[in-house]
Amino acid sequence: MALTMLAPSRTSTSSSSSNVNPYPQVTRQNTFSSSDGTRSARTSKRYSVTALYMSMHAHDKDIEIEDDLARVQKTLRDLKAKISSQSKKNFVLEKDVRYLDSRIALLIQNRMALEEQNEVASHLEDSVEILEGTFPSDQKTQQYGNLFFLLQSEPRHIAALCRLVTMAEIDALLQTVMFTIYGNQYESREEHLLLTMFQSVLSAQFDTTPEYSSLLRANTPVSRMMTTYTRRGPGQSYLKTVLADQINSLIEHKDLNLEINPLKVYEQMIKQIEEDTGTLPSNMPRGISAEEAAENPQVQAIIEPRLTMLMKIANSFLTTIIDNLNETPYGIRWICKQIRSLTKRKYPDAKEQVICTLIGGFFFLRFLNPAIVTPRSYMLVDGMPSEHPRRTLTLIAKMLQNLANKPSYAKEPYMASLAPFVHHNKARINKFLMDLCEVGDFYESLEMDQYVALSKKDLELSITLNEIYTTHQLLEKHAKELNKAQDVSHLNVLLAELGPAPAQVPRKENRVITLPLYSRWESAIDDLTAALDITQEDVCYMEAKSTFVQLLRTLPATSPAVRKPLNLTKIADTAAKMRDMGMFRKGMRALELLEQLRDLGVATDQDGYLLLREEVEQELVHLGSLKDKVVEETKKLDEVYKTIRDHNTYLVGQLETYKSYLHNVRSQSEGKQRKQQKQTVLGPYKFTHQQLEKEGVIQKSNVPDNRRANIFFNITSPMPGTFVISLHYKGRNRGLLELDLKLDDLLEMQQNGQDELDLEYVQFNVPKVLTLLNKRFARKKW
Amino acid sequence: MSSRGTRREYNIVVLGAGGVGKSCLTAQFVQNVWIESYDPTIEDSYRKVIEVDGRSCVLEILDTAGTEQFTAMREIYMKTGQGFLLVYSITSLSTLHELTDLRDQILRIKETDHVPIVIVGNKSDLEEDRAVSRNRAIHLSQSWGRVPFYETSARKRQNVDEVFMDLCRQIMRNEAVLDETRSERSEKKPLGKKKGFCLIL
Repeated sequence: MALTMLAPSRTSTSSSSSNVNPYPQVTRQNTFSSSDGTRSARTSKRYSVTALYMSMHAHDKDIEIEDDLARVQKTLRDLKAKISSQSKKNFVLEKDVRYLDSRIALLIQNRMALEEQNEVASHLEDSVEILEGTFPSDQKTQQYGNLFFLLQSEPRHIAALCRLVTMAEIDALLQTVMFTIYGNQYESREEHLLLTMFQSVLSAQFDTTPEYSSLLRANTPVSRMMTTYTRRGPGQSYLKTVLADQINSLIEHKDLNLEINPLKVYEQMIKQIEEDTGTLPSNMPRGISAEEAAENPQVQAIIEPRLTMLMKIANSFLTTIIDNLNETPYGIRWICKQIRSLTKRKYPDAKEQVICTLIGGFFFLRFLNPAIVTPRSYMLVDGMPSEHPRRTLTLIAKMLQNLANKPSYAKEPYMASLAPFVHHNKARINKFLMDLCEVGDFYESLEMDQYVALSKKDLELSITLNEIYTTHQLLEKHAKELNKAQDVSHLNVLLAELGPAPAQVPRKENRVITLPLYSRWESAIDDLTAALDITQEDVCYMEAKSTFVQLLRTLPATSPAVRKPLNLTKIADTAAKMRDMGMFRKGMRALELLEQLRDLGVATDQDGYLLLREEVEQELVHLGSLKDKVVEETKKLDEVYKTIRDHNTYLVGQLETYKSYLHNVRSQSEGKQRKQQKQTVLGPYKFTHQQLEKEGVIQKSNVPDNRRANIFFNITSPMPGTFVISLHYKGRNRGLLELDLKLDDLLEMQQNGQDELDLEYVQFNVPKVLTLLNKRFARKKW
Repeated sequence: MSSRGTRREYNIVVLGAGGVGKSCLTAQFVQNVWIESYDPTIEDSYRKVIEVDGRSCVLEILDTAGTEQFTAMREIYMKTGQGFLLVYSITSLSTLHELTDLRDQILRIKETDHVPIVIVGNKSDLEEDRAVSRNRAIHLSQSWGRVPFYETSARKRQNVDEVFMDLCRQIMRNEAVLDETRSERSEKKPLGKKKGFCLIL
């Protein structure tokens, strides 16, 4: 599909989710009324015109623009689509891994009944890829297509449902909502509809919460929504940009101890003295009180420089966060804005501090700080940070949270030593939190996007049978309350047609369906112009502008017609004389449009269509810088995509491990019941030191560099679930070391967060060993 | 860690949903103050020496984040904790429901069914907003094998000391039982068996 020149309204909205500029302004600056002073009343309409115009020409295939901009835009679009679908896969996998994590420990401890083993096994079957399929009847396809069109385009239904469902139901619903119904994370219409849903859920929460101090505190479907939302592509990408470097450089210093709790410092101190000297001086008793510890001069001397250091680190986190204001995803800023306006509406007397506290309760408490405290769960770091850096990160998060809220220091008294940080940065953070809210609304463009959606015939949703049925079941279950809340007549008609919700299908039978979406209540596209109050001139002007930009992007750079200052008539003439049919038609059309504009009295050739020419030039400048931005954004998203894919590999590996473990457990217990099965010994397989080092299996080696080439490992599996690893030195018959290993032990180590497997001369990385064993010793599945 | 003196140290972890008053409860117990402000916790730790049945003991109390986004931190708390206050708010039924998952996770991590726990229904001063009946919580307590249950008011400092004392007694009893069984049970086998290494590289 050729992107028309007016695409910026779309590109800027979509890029808004990850950066660039507070977007509505961009489009508005580029509408033709932007250079006179009296436009404000009409700007909103112009904006809509832009969108309308775009929709009319979205399928214009006359000219495939193939300039650099078009190419980079295409790359970006593809990348975004890949991120969207991959992050959904990860969300589903994460759910499986979470479930299995909680079960595998029981299994290891042999505390799981056979029945539950079967259930776990069913979770593992076919959990990776779901096949494509179709509904048995066209009628069902059509009915569900109608239902999901309604759900997608009228977010109030989902919003109402989100408030009604239980915490147990919310995950399944959110999966469908965030990753399927509004799953295209970089598409403005879906993003905006999703945000509209947020608004309605948030506003209901404000209505039902008695006092502001308990707002947004509880774990509710709303807070779960926020978590899930921040886990989509743009949120991930932001966290990576803002936090990854900071956190990684901090956790490199494994031994940097910045504990400032006097009690802990005192304990560490006496432990150290005891270790060094073997005894404890009598003036250093154990188990002293917090006050005593805080008054100890040695403790104070240790803490003092740490305070300075902590404030320095926290300050650098804060500076990065503030500097990246414009990188903050649009949706997250928009939610901040909603919190602000809902607070003002509900508590007209609320001071700025109160508002900042609530915004901080979302932005820091629910988004940034969890990532700082547990960076591994957010894919910001590779391994679990060691103890000291972990504590430092917690302290940093506490400082940032204190900054956002009004700290009372009534809690931990020692935190008061960090008061200077709060004091110095309070004004800065409040300004930042307010700046976060400074983004435009999207209602007008959404309205337009909606019309566009109606006019398009190719709206589709890729959705699984079980997602469809879950949603249907939830609508059915909560129908009574839904009816109370609002007008649901359309919804009721569709539900009545569909009949009772089908039960979930077994995982094996689950299919991905491509559901064409369309409205049962079709509104004609002809009504649009009337509904939007667009004049003939508007349409004509916009089309002219669009056509000229297209021509300029397609004409060869050597053509005299593209030289500045532009001569619009010359451009149109040049194109109209070209052999290329597309260009010829565009050129003729451009001449026609100029004539129409003259007739309508909107423009005149006496000044060379000055206004139009200026706008075309502006647009080209904008497109030029747009290309850089697109390239830059693509680079960033490439990173995100890579992270998401790595995480996917990790998750799939984890599932594989569980799978083979369970397989072993079951084949062993089966073996006991039936006749002993023939046991085949697998291996030995040989691995060189270098090979294992490269794959990350060896995470630390004490073998001198010049000897490494002579070291190799043999791994044998005498029976399922048991491995023997031996370490050999070339030329010697006997191995240097042999280790019996049970899969149970490895899994248990992993459960306990123990990453190191000590082989005396080398240290293996437990998860990597698991992956290796899995790959090499995969036995037949059950 | 056992001390040379007579005082024993116990690790207590306060868990529960966001906004149920875990910090208020803890601050009242440790510092006798009422926190009015909106100040969500990420992780706070306290120490208090108390006298239980004539024995002086040191309580290390960890006040945790109720915000669900911080759940990844829980596992570490649960490993170190010896006793757990599971707090809900009597004004919100869903906060009671959240306790079940917390207990399951504790039992799983502790690998035993005998973990000292006290169920705490906080905000008992907000009787007019009550959404959880006493019976409901008692029912939960019974289904967990008669886990002690109290309703508290951190604001009015009602039953605050009692919940900590109760938990502390449970830990002491539990320790006595553990000491007995420990001597009977054999040590857990170490990972793998290494054999036959003798050469120096």
